[in-house]
Amino acid sequence: MEVTIRNAPSFANLLVNLDPGDRIVAEADAMASMSSGVEMTTRWNGGVFRAIARRLFGGESIFVNEFKATQPGHIVITQPFPGDMACIELKGNTMFLQPGAYIASEPQVTLGLGWAGIRSFISGEGLFRMKVSGYGRVWFGAYGAIFTREVVGEYIVDTGHLVAYEPTIGIRVGMAGGIFSSFFGGEGLITRVNGQGKIYMQSRSFEGLAAWTNAHL
Amino acid sequence: MHDVSQDFFGGVFSDKIEGGRAAAKISINSYGLVAETLEEERFEIPFGECQLDKGGASGRMIFCRNSDRSITLFCEERGFPKALETLSTGALSGQLRAIQLKQRGHEKTFLFWLTVGSVMTLIAGVIGYYALIAATQAAVAALPISIDENIGSVAIKSVDLHARLDAGHVATKLVNDIVKELEPHSAIKGLNFRVMVVDEPTVNAFALPGGQIVVYTGLIKKAKSAEQLAGVIAHEMAHATLRHGLKGVGQSLGIIAAIQLVTGDVGGLLALSTQLAQESILTSYSRKSETEADLEGARMLHEAGIDPKNMADFFQMLEKLEGDIPDLLAWISTHPQHADRIARIEDYQKQIPQKPYRLLELPWEEVQNQLAN
Ligand SMILES: [Zn+2]
Repeated sequence: MEVTIRNAPSFANLLVNLDPGDRIVAEADAMASMSSGVEMTTRWNGGVFRAIARRLFGGESIFVNEFKATQPGHIVITQPFPGDMACIELKGNTMFLQPGAYIASEPQVTLGLGWAGIRSFISGEGLFRMKVSGYGRVWFGAYGAIFTREVVGEYIVDTGHLVAYEPTIGIRVGMAGGIFSSFFGGEGLITRVNGQGKIYMQSRSFEGLAAWTNAHL
Repeated sequence: MHDVSQDFFGGVFSDKIEGGRAAAKISINSYGLVAETLEEERFEIPFGECQLDKGGASGRMIFCRNSDRSITLFCEERGFPKALETLSTGALSGQLRAIQLKQRGHEKTFLFWLTVGSVMTLIAGVIGYYALIAATQAAVAALPISIDENIGSVAIKSVDLHARLDAGHVATKLVNDIVKELEPHSAIKGLNFRVMVVDEPTVNAFALPGGQIVVYTGLIKKAKSAEQLAGVIAHEMAHATLRHGLKGVGQSLGIIAAIQLVTGDVGGLLALSTQLAQESILTSYSRKSETEADLEGARMLHEAGIDPKNMADFFQMLEKLEGDIPDLLAWISTHPQHADRIARIEDYQKQIPQKPYRLLELPWEEVQNQLAN
């Protein structure tokens, strides 16, 4: 299986070339086009209750689609918002993805739902997070460009900009300034990440888009 | 005691690993910690060098770094801290306690700010709620009166008018004449008041947005005089002129509906007002609206030269009747709190300059006789 991220960074999409027998799992609705020799089966995104909980709190679909090639073929997988995509390869380690970031993964990758906690919720990162673990490649997307950072110690990210992080990274909510400027100054809350590990950030935030759209209606 | 060792699942950060990190099996033996990756790379940190920290996404992850911080081992398995404590034979106890306390400090700080945040959100919510109501009132005031007309004309369809008396009936004429006496003194001009008298024993009267006034003969019969009837009608006309129906709708639906109204998208609202009319939301108002209608009605009566006390008298009379015919007293059910209301009307009368009031020259006896037949 050969996967290429095309049209990055603005309108990234995945071109997946499949050999007979190759399989790939993707977020429901993510498939834009595929060859006729590819079979699609839909299944619960990791158990009925977890799937529903993920839909309700994590922003992810209830279902995932599994694509299997019966003869050589390809699939194009997209994400609903304009932006870049990134690939990580899991070798027995775990990665947390923010709600909505997951796009596709190889079949040996386990998709799980992790309770992200009140802190994460307050900082606008969602009450749940997607936990990907196991072996294989995972593709995830972002709104805008993706940039990464190896954090050692503490690092500050504006709320809504964190896309993915390793389990060795802790998240705390912080105020951008004093209590007054935080509540009334517009900067509001920030996300304080600490520990050691890699974080993936997006250059734009949905909150920013919502604010911009509202201002232009 | 010597060869005791315990294995855990975790990982390691090191520049020596491709990509800088790897999942690893972490063993604790009597000398220190050993991490072994899948690629069989080995990393060791003796207890003496081990600098502990706690955190990670779960808050439970234990980090162990060597003295030059070139190696970091991590593990979040539940038994890990306990095993460290036991197998290090006390060498790490102090550090383990310190990271535990640090964690608790974070929890406390977080709880404090969570409480502060919740309280502030609550306060903002309360302020927002009242601001929304104020904004709704302001938005309603800005709406053209034709919207009241529209809503009223939809709402009237859900009123049972099959026993309606025709326009030539003395009772209809009487109510019409009363409305004509009061109309010049209404708070807003341009409302097209239309009177419908329905021949039913229900003691009720209501005004719909836009000025349609429905009066049941049951109420006319119970009134002791044309002036008392004028009292109720003034109150109902005040609901229409003060646009209480629309304010009620606005409050039920929030500011969005009000904005929709301003922008002219009335379709959905008309459909909804039919439903609201059936649930009598358009004709039963909040206590604040009732007080407003009482005072505005009293003012209209006063301006028209009719003693506002007639309104209070009518309320009092209805209250006395309440025990006898509760099923028919529909007006009372939507207008409770009589004692307060009577007191407020009397207070109002003390505040306004006294003036000689007149009696309405209307065929009251004739109407009563006609209705009695
Ligand atoms: Zn009323």
